[in-house]
Amino acid sequence: MITTPQYLKPGDTIGLVCPAGYMAIDKVQACISTLQQWGYQVKTGNTVGSASENYFSGTDDERLADLQQMMDDDDVRAVLCARGGYGLTRIVDRIEFKKFREQPKWIIGFSDVTVLLSHIYSNYDISTLHAPMAGAFNDPDKENKFLLSLRKAIEGRRTSYHVDPHLFNRKGEAVGELIGGNLALLAHCIGTDSDVKTKGKILFIEDVGEFLYNIDRMMYQLKRADKFKKLAGLIVGGFTDSKDTDRPFGQSAEEIIRDAVSEYDFPVCFGFPVSHGRENLALKIGVGYKLKVGKNKVVLSE
Amino acid sequence: MNRKNFLSSIVGLSAFTSVKTNEEVPGIPIIPRYLKTGDTIGITSPAGHIKVEDIEPSVEQMKSWGFRIKIGNTIGKRNFAFGGTDDERVKDMQMMLDDPSLSAIMCARGGYGVIRIIDRLDFRKFQMKPKWIIGFSDVTVLHSHLNKNLGIASIHSKMCNSFPDDWSIADEMQKQTIYSIRDLLAGVPVKYPLIPSPYNKTGVAEGVLVGGNLKTIESLSGTASDLYTKGKILFVEDTGEYLYSIDRMFWNLRRTGKLIGLKGLIVGGFKVKPDDPGEEFGMNLQTIVLDKLKNYKYPVCFDFPVGHQKNNFALKCGARYRMKIAPQSCTFEEII
Repeated sequence: MITTPQYLKPGDTIGLVCPAGYMAIDKVQACISTLQQWGYQVKTGNTVGSASENYFSGTDDERLADLQQMMDDDDVRAVLCARGGYGLTRIVDRIEFKKFREQPKWIIGFSDVTVLLSHIYSNYDISTLHAPMAGAFNDPDKENKFLLSLRKAIEGRRTSYHVDPHLFNRKGEAVGELIGGNLALLAHCIGTDSDVKTKGKILFIEDVGEFLYNIDRMMYQLKRADKFKKLAGLIVGGFTDSKDTDRPFGQSAEEIIRDAVSEYDFPVCFGFPVSHGRENLALKIGVGYKLKVGKNKVVLSE
Repeated sequence: MNRKNFLSSIVGLSAFTSVKTNEEVPGIPIIPRYLKTGDTIGITSPAGHIKVEDIEPSVEQMKSWGFRIKIGNTIGKRNFAFGGTDDERVKDMQMMLDDPSLSAIMCARGGYGVIRIIDRLDFRKFQMKPKWIIGFSDVTVLHSHLNKNLGIASIHSKMCNSFPDDWSIADEMQKQTIYSIRDLLAGVPVKYPLIPSPYNKTGVAEGVLVGGNLKTIESLSGTASDLYTKGKILFVEDTGEYLYSIDRMFWNLRRTGKLIGLKGLIVGGFKVKPDDPGEEFGMNLQTIVLDKLKNYKYPVCFDFPVGHQKNNFALKCGARYRMKIAPQSCTFEEII
C-alpha cells in the first residue's frame, strides 16, 4: 500500500539540496524567492552553492550528509533537489531511510533524481514528486503552468492534465500507479536495488541529449527485461536534443518508441509535457492515475 | 523454417533461459573445434553497415592463413546505419549458425544492432555443433548471451574493419593483434604483452573469462543475455564515454552484483571523452574503478591490451585463464 506524504501548508519549510551536480547560488535565488512568495520557508543545504570545484556539489559524504539531514529534519516538509546532473547512484545505497519511513515527506526532482524516486518507491512504497527543479524557476514567467503544477502538487490539489493528441498515440484507458522518469536512469537501475516493477503500472519516460541508437538500445533493454509485458499504459515525454550518428539512424525517438512497444496493446500517449525542456508537468510517482487516450482527447488524472 | 516453428523455438529457448535467474549453465566451458587449413569462416554483419570493399583486406588475409571464406548477404547491405534490416541480419546470422560447412563466423564490424536480433536467433543447431563466433564492441551481446545460456566459448577480437588495408606497410602491433585471431582459431596460445600499472592490485586468479564492452554489458542487465560473473575473471573496455558515465557504469556493475565474487578484474582500453569545461569530474579511470572495489581482494589489471584501439588482442570468452599480477610483472594465459 502506497504512502503519500503530507501535503504542504503555508509556512511549511522546504529543504533545498544538491545531491548530484554542482549549482551556483545565483542560479537558485529565483527558486528560493518564488517558494517564499508561495508562502513557504526555505532551508538551504550546505551542498547548494557549495565551494566544490569539480562536477559534484560536494564529496559523496557531503552530499549524503546534506540529503540525509534534510530527510531527517523534523522541520522540513519537503526536499527539493535543486538540480540533477550525475551523482545519486553513488550515494543511494548509503541513505538511511528509517526516520523518513516513519515521517515521509515529499522528495522532489527529476533527471538524475530518478534514481532516488525509483529507489524510494520500489523499496518503501512512498510516493515522490517528479517535477521541475531550481533551474526552472529562472523562467521569466513565474506563473507558468509547469511551475504552477509543482505548486498544486505540493499543496495537494488534484491534478488533471489535458494533452494534445498525437499521430502515434494508441487509444485506450489505463488505471494504475504512476512510475517513471529519465529513460537512461531507469535502464541504469535495472537489476539493482532501485529497479522498479512495472506490472499494472503507468510508465512515463523522457530523456535529453541521447543518441537515437542509444534510445533504441534502452527501449530494447526495457523490453528484454520484461518492463512492458504487463504494463498498463505508457506516457512518452520529451526526448529533447537527441543526437544522431554520421550514418543516420533513420527513425525519430518517437518512431523508435512506437516500434518498440508495437507488439503490446496498452494505451500509449506521445508528446506528454514531461521533459528536460520548459515543458515539465509535476507527476506524483506511486500515486494512482487514470490515463485516457482518445482520438481527440488525452487526459491524465489523479 | 516457417515463422510458426521459428516462434515456438524461441519460446522453448526463453523457457530454458528464464530472465533474471542470475544463474548460468553449469559445467565445464564448451570450446568449439579449432580450425584446420581448408576450413571455412563465414562473414556477416549483425550490427552496422559495411561496404563489400571494406572487408576485402580481411578476406585476403584470412585466405592467406589457409581458410576459405563465405561472405554473407548482409555484407554490402544497408538499412540506414544497419547492415540490412533486422530480418535480413537475423536471416544471414541464422544461416551461418546453421551452416555445417562453417567452422567460424566473423562479425564484419560492430556499431549497434545485435540486441535487436539476439532473441530471434535459434541456437539449437549451433549448440549441437558449436563454432567460433568472432567480434567485439556491440558483439559483446553475443558473447554474453552464449556464455550465460549455452556455456560456449567465443572470440573477442578485432573484426573485418580493423584489418590493415596494406599488410606490407602495417605496423607490428597491428599484425600481432590480427595474428592473435588466427592463433586462437588454430588453438595456439597467445602471449599478451602486459605492462604493470602502478594502479594494479596484485594476486593470482584462475577462472572463466567473461566480459567485453562496458556500455553493452550494462544494457544487458535484467535481460536473458545478462552477464553472469560470479567466480569468473571479468574484462571490460569502452570508448567515447565521459568519466561520469564510466563511473555510473561501474556503479551499475557493482549494484547489479557483478563485482562481488569475481576472481579477477581486467580493465582494458577506455578512450575517455574529455570533460566539458566547468564539469571536471575530478577522478581518473583508475580511481573510478578502484573506488568500486573496496572490500574486494581479487587482483586487478589495468591497461590490458583489449579495446577500441590498435593493441586489441584476441581473447576467448568462456575459456579458463590464469592471471598473475605482481608489482614488476604480469602474465595472463589460457589454462589448457
